[in-house]
Amino acid sequence: MPLDPRNVGRKYGPYRYAVGQEKISDFAVAVGGGVPGRVFGGWLPEDLHPWFVDEASGKASPHGSTIAPPTFCVNFAMQPFALACSDPELGIDLVRLLHGEQQFEYFDVIRPGDVLETMGEIVRIESKGSLDFMTVKTTTRSQTGKVVLEGLWTAIVRG
Amino acid sequence: MKTLRDFRVGDTFVLERACDRYRPVYYAAASGDFNPIHIDPEVGRRAGQSGAILQGMCTMAWLADACVRYFEDPGRIRKLKVRFSKPVNVGDVVTFQGRCVAVEGPVVRVEVTARNQAGDEVLKGAVAEGLVV
Repeated sequence: MPLDPRNVGRKYGPYRYAVGQEKISDFAVAVGGGVPGRVFGGWLPEDLHPWFVDEASGKASPHGSTIAPPTFCVNFAMQPFALACSDPELGIDLVRLLHGEQQFEYFDVIRPGDVLETMGEIVRIESKGSLDFMTVKTTTRSQTGKVVLEGLWTAIVRG
Repeated sequence: MKTLRDFRVGDTFVLERACDRYRPVYYAAASGDFNPIHIDPEVGRRAGQSGAILQGMCTMAWLADACVRYFEDPGRIRKLKVRFSKPVNVGDVVTFQGRCVAVEGPVVRVEVTARNQAGDEVLKGAVAEGLVV
């Protein structure tokens, strides 16, 4: 059954997330080819950007601290999208779901110690042939109220 | 660190990343994306794949890594956009090839291709923008 476009406008959140250095390091390590965590893992892949993991380098950088890699934001900004995909009101079969498209716009870097709040809203539901497209827009604000990140998350559901 | 005048249309950059057997699990731990299609080969097969597939967001993280190397300061990256055109499977090696296509004021725009070892594109329309001030 095609996705019901009347669900456009459904909102999810806000969801709160406190950013920590250990999680940033684990993310950078996993993406860089290493093993996250401190048990059977934790070694740093060579050529990892030092501003993600090394406090002294981060402090000496233009940002004044370590920062999160650009797509670290999955840890918090994906939550409204994941909840929309598994929302019983929409009834999506997760086995038929694919992540189709992704877009981020960044307005500031994210640092350890930031406390973020992310809201999501379904902004598009469209059927093309046997495929349904659903796009969730997320907006993440920092503890100062400033928008630091916007995401457009598009799911494709195969009929 | 490179300054604005060091960025020129036609610049290229390359990054190679391998999806080893446990990469989807490691990425799940780091990202929180434990969708069973990425963890359980049986669920992957039920979804019509050959086994567990890598999170698209990990492929995008690799793309971002390639761009970070080019821009040098990760905080310069202001926009990232991709379409996921083919799943990345365990055993795949993905090559990212980037090219600077525009420098407009402080905004540096790059286009990136991402192909697996068979030459198939796993991302389409991948673009990034950096703000270099």
